[in-house]
This record gives sequence, C-alpha cells and structure tokens, in this order.
Amino acid sequence: MHGGDDQHETAMEPGFDFISPRFEEPKFPMHQVWGYAASLVLTFAALWMTVNRIMSPSVLLGVVLAMAVAQGALQLGVFMHVRESRGPAWHLLPLGMAFAIGIGLVGMSAWIMLFKSGVS
Amino acid sequence: MPALPSFVPYLIHTLFPPWVRRPTEIGAEVMMVAGGAFIVYWLLKYKKLQWLWNEWLTTVDHKKIGIMYLVAAIIMLARGGLDALMLRTNLALPTAHFIGASEYNEVFTTHGTIMVFFMGMPLIFALFNVVVPLQIGSRDVAFPRLNAISFWLFAFAAALFNLSFVVGGSPNAGWTAYPPLTELAFNHTVGENYYFISLLMTGIGTTITGINFLVTILRMRAPGMTLMKMPLFTWATLNTSALILFAFPPFTIALLESLLDRLAATSFFTLSHGGMPMMYVNLFWLFGHPEVYILVLPAFGVFSEVVATFSRKKLFGYPSMVLSMTAIMVLAYGTWVHHFFTMGAGPAVNVFFGLSTMLIAIPTGVKVFNWILTMWGGRVQFTTPMLYFLAMIPTFVIGGATGVMLGAVPADYQFHNSYFVIAHFHEVLIGGTVFGLLAGVYYWWPKMFGYKLNDRQGKWAFWLFAGGFWPTFIPQYWLGLEGMTRRMYTYPLGMGWHTLNVISTIGGFIMGAGFLVLAANVLYSRRHQEKDLTGDAWDGRTLEWSIPSPAPEYNFAVIPTVDERDWWWQEKERRRQGEKPVVVKPEEIRPIAIPKNTPVPILLGAAFFMGAFGLVFSWWDIALAGLVAVFSILIYSWFQYDHYRILSAGEVRESEELLGRLGA
Repeated sequence: MHGGDDQHETAMEPGFDFISPRFEEPKFPMHQVWGYAASLVLTFAALWMTVNRIMSPSVLLGVVLAMAVAQGALQLGVFMHVRESRGPAWHLLPLGMAFAIGIGLVGMSAWIMLFKSGVS
Repeated sequence: MPALPSFVPYLIHTLFPPWVRRPTEIGAEVMMVAGGAFIVYWLLKYKKLQWLWNEWLTTVDHKKIGIMYLVAAIIMLARGGLDALMLRTNLALPTAHFIGASEYNEVFTTHGTIMVFFMGMPLIFALFNVVVPLQIGSRDVAFPRLNAISFWLFAFAAALFNLSFVVGGSPNAGWTAYPPLTELAFNHTVGENYYFISLLMTGIGTTITGINFLVTILRMRAPGMTLMKMPLFTWATLNTSALILFAFPPFTIALLESLLDRLAATSFFTLSHGGMPMMYVNLFWLFGHPEVYILVLPAFGVFSEVVATFSRKKLFGYPSMVLSMTAIMVLAYGTWVHHFFTMGAGPAVNVFFGLSTMLIAIPTGVKVFNWILTMWGGRVQFTTPMLYFLAMIPTFVIGGATGVMLGAVPADYQFHNSYFVIAHFHEVLIGGTVFGLLAGVYYWWPKMFGYKLNDRQGKWAFWLFAGGFWPTFIPQYWLGLEGMTRRMYTYPLGMGWHTLNVISTIGGFIMGAGFLVLAANVLYSRRHQEKDLTGDAWDGRTLEWSIPSPAPEYNFAVIPTVDERDWWWQEKERRRQGEKPVVVKPEEIRPIAIPKNTPVPILLGAAFFMGAFGLVFSWWDIALAGLVAVFSILIYSWFQYDHYRILSAGEVRESEELLGRLGA
C-alpha cells in the first residue's frame, strides 16, 4: 500500500481521544456476532410490530424510525469499524458529509411529498 | 404418440407467450441462436475454450476487465441502436404501423434502459478500469476480485435483460418504470420483473465499482501525487464514484419495493391500498438525476485529457476545473424534482429546484470555457478524439441551454413529456456522454491494444455519427413545441409533424451508418495493426503513457515518484533539454504480488442469474436454488486464503528487458 498524503501523522488534540489511531484485531469476532444478532432482532422486531399493528400508526412510525437509526449506528460501529483507524481519523469527514447528504435527501423528500394540500 | 408430460405445454406457454412470437422476436431468436452456435463452433474448432477461461473469464486484471466491459458496451450499443431505428421507422411511417402499439412500448423501454444501464455505464467502467490505475501509478484497483464480481453481475444482468425480448416478454413501462403502470393489476406479463431484477443485479455491481474506485483513488496513488496533481480523468472518476455511492441506494429501494408490489402483494406504490406512487417517482429521480451526471462527468474527464493532449498545452484552469466538477457533483444531488414539476408540489418546492437546476449551468459553463481556452494558442491536432471534442461543444451548449429552459418551472409545464425533453436529453447524453466516451475509446485504444484505430475511417465514422446527430435531434425540439408528446407510436398525418419526423428518422439512419463504419473501423484496424512500440501513441501527458502499450500485467515495474501535474510531459520536456531520463533501473525492481485468477466472480454472476430467472417467473424453487448457490460460492471463497502469486524480480526484469524498458 502506498498512499498519497495520508502518511503524515498528526498529534491529536486532548479530548479527541476517541478518534486517535486505534486498531482492534481480536482472535474471535465476538463483537460482530453480537452486532449481527442485535441487527436481526431490531429488524424482525420492527417487522413484527408493523405486521401486528401493536400501536397507532404515527407512534409506530416513530418507534420504527428510532429502531432504524439505532441499527444504522450499530452497524457503523460494529461492521464499519467507525471507531478504529490506523492513522488520523480522516473517515469522519466523509462520514459527516454522508450524514449531511442523507439527512438532506430524506428531509427534502419529506418536504416535497407534503404536497397534497395546495396543488398548484 | 406418447402424451407429452404436462409441464411441457405450461413451459411453452409461460416462456414463449404470443407476444414473443412476432417476426422481430423470431428474427432475434434466430440471430441469437446462430451467433451463439457460431461462437461455440469457433471456440471448439480452434480449441480456445481453455484460453477463454484462463485469460478472460476468470481474470481479475483491471485492464482485461475494462476490455470486457468495452466489448459488452459495444454489443449493447448495437442493440439499443437497433431499437432506436425501429422507433424512428415507425414514426417516419405513421400510417404503415411498422411495429404495433404494444411492441412500440416494449422497444422504447428497452432502448432507454439498455442505453443508460447496459451501454453507458459499462462504457464508463471500461474507461475507469483501463485508465485510472495506470493514471495514478497503481498496479491494480483496490479490490481486484470485487472488480471482477462487479463486471460479472453487470454481464449476467445485461444477458437477463436482453433475454426478456425472446423469453417471456419485454418490459413495457418506459425506462423510468413508473407505477401504477408497473403494478401487477395493470401489467400482467413478466416484462417488468425482468426490468426490476436485472437492474437490481447490475446496481449491486455498480455500487461495488463506485466503492472500489473511491478507495483506489484515495489510497493507491503513486507517491507524490497529491489530490491536486491528479489527472482530470481521475478526478472525474472520483466524483462519479461519489455520485454512485449515494445515488444508487434510493434507486435500489425503489426497484425492490416495486418488485415486492409485484411478487409479494405489498402495496408500497398502490394508491388504493394507501401506497404512494409519487414516492416511486421521487426515489427514482433521487437516483436519476445524479445518474445523468454519473454518465456525463467521465466524458468531461475524457475531454479534459483529449483537449490538453491534442492542443499540446497544459489544461487551462486546472483548479477551477476540479472545483467546478466537484460543485457539479454536490449540486447534482439537489435538483431531482425538476423531472416532476408537474406533480404540483407547490410553488416553493418547484422554485427551489428550478433555481438549483439553473445553478448547475454555472460550473458546466466554466468547464466549457476552460476547454476552449486550452485550445487557445495551442497547436491543435485534428485527430478523431479531438473531432468528437469539437463536436461536443455546440451540442452540449445547446443541450445545456435547453436544460435551463426546462428548469424554468412555468415553461416546464408546457415542455413536460413532449419531444422537447427527448431532444434535450439526447442532445446532452449523445452530444456529451457518447461523444466523450467514443473520444475516450479512440484515445485510449492504443493503450488497451497496442495499436491505434485507423484515423481516416475513424473520421468517416465521426462525420456520419456527428453529422447524423443534428438532423436527428434538432427537429425534435420543434416537434415538442408543436405538441408531440413522447412515447407515442403513431399520429394522424394532418398534425403537421410528418416532415420533421422524416428528417429525424433520416438522421437516425445516418447515425446508424456511422456505427457500422465504427464497427468496420475496429475490425479493419485489428487486421491491419500498426504496432505502437513507444507506449506513447499520442505524445501524451499523464502517467499511463509512460509505460508500454498494452501495459504489462504488473503495470509499473517500479512505481514512479511524481512531483508535478502532467508528470510524463514534464519528464519528456526534461529529456528534450538533455537531462538524464528517469528509466527503470534493474536493481530497483522488486518482486510483485499479482492477484490470482479466480472462478468465483463468474460463478457468482451465474448463480445470481439463476436466482433472478427464478424470481422473474416466480419459480420459487429455482430462486431459492440460486440463493443457495450464491451463498455456497461465497462460503467457498471465504476459505480461499491464497489470493496472490508472486512475480519474482527476475521475471519482471526479463519482461521489462523484452519491452526495451531497462536503463543502465
């Protein structure tokens, strides 16, 4: 591997320890096993709640959304190794951009689809 | 006579319903069977099966994968082009009903889908694969095996999509596949299943390719090549990959939900069951608009390389080129509603997206001016790629300007779904993307194969193709303004549309002739090749021209250290001034790890194909068998640890010696 400008090591400011270089390599990927199980639980719980309509639709929507966000965070942490890096945590920058784009697209879609009243 | 088993009539009825037994389908079937038989005969006669398997089908070499993408794209261009000529013939003879209404629906659907997903995308990936690793001084892409998996998912998806023409029936709801037209209640044939499943398959491959090239470019550049020293085509690839990364997920969701609506009786887009058909439109264009920039940014990259090389000048305004391309990438995510202003989301929404649409014209304009200024004061050589560049400028400017007209919301209510839109997007997609990719194919052909395409014939093909382009699409603006809507298979003669349609059709056939000359050009140049022994056929500027053509499998015997933009040009400049050339020193050559061939990608593609075919006809046992096959192959590949073979320093030295590359 020969990188361009990612070779420079930069000292981390105190208080930013969580993005300082850190790399885990356990013998058995127990984290991932738990993460996978938890993802399945979150998925099937959401499906079960929706199919059986255990709450009013608006509350259900909120709960399912919350579970989706939880699963997203879980997968980022467990499978995407977001807390690990061999060098400075450059990946946080595009990750932030991804969130901005994602939230932007979802937010704007919601805005666009609120068109039922006041058709022009 | 013994009675046939009961499943035989069922199979015939399901696989070959009446709508695939029309003359065109029978003709296509005969051609496919005959072509397939000829290929098998040829492979057996010349005992090429082993060679095909070892050299091509199991390869993970980015250069060979690029060439396979290229071959597939040219075949698909032929099919999509034939579709287009069928449509144009029907419109030139509105009373003859050359093809009927339902077949017309199928043909415009496959024309659009094939041209975007199975011609445009693979042609882009062909150039990515062939060029990018060489341009950044790398030995391969970051994930060679995933790269092969991308290709085989695409190839089998393309095969599946084309199979729909002769087995079961083609999709017929347009390349955008809006509900409710795609819902089971209104569309009983399996055609739309083919559409959704094959696009899901190729979408997986595309997403992987996007990730692969992002990582390759960010992590595997030659030492010293900082981001602002990268060639423009590499920048285009980076931006395109970033677009792919976020554009394909909403598309995948839209396809998957439509498929579930058809196969699993859900109602995501069924209005009567609380579904939201316009949400499909929203999701589709969330992908669809970035997609058009996915198609055009690589062409911008090609033009940036071509215009600099053939003007023998460095690119004018490199930083502004990079900035404008990145701005296009970001803005591309914020304009999608202009495809459905007429949904009526309200003035606030429409104005926002109208303005964001017009905003994109600014960075695009910056790029056009920079290209023109690159030629200013340069010594322009009118080679075939350069001609395509010059032809692009007026077409893209007019296509872009009519795009701004379409972005004006009140006017769009008039233009919407008319031939004005057809003329606009063909003008930017052919005048921008296809011209650009053809320029790229001519430009990098010597790097791929070691000889140039015949320039004289190339110019003939160019003049026919670019000359046919104008009469084909310019009349369509007027047709749109005169009220002709898209996707109509006929019209009354008294509408006053006939003359313009005839002109458009004649232009279409001239473009078809251009394609034939292009194909002849490829075959002729292959037979009468003039080997390019320098590796630098055009006196190029970037790193890929510093190595032999075609590049050896390890690309660079020693990875060069780059300290400026257009390093190879500067290096040649230094040599002209008598400085000692930077050559490969034998003692610097080290052993090189080469990724091994593997049958996993092609088998994975075949397994996906089997599962997808089962899903198309709702044959769940076959679909399940395909799924099991996919997992078995994945598990098999998990337990393969030995991915690399080592090319010893001696072997590399020998190879470089043979290529005449070793310096003292």
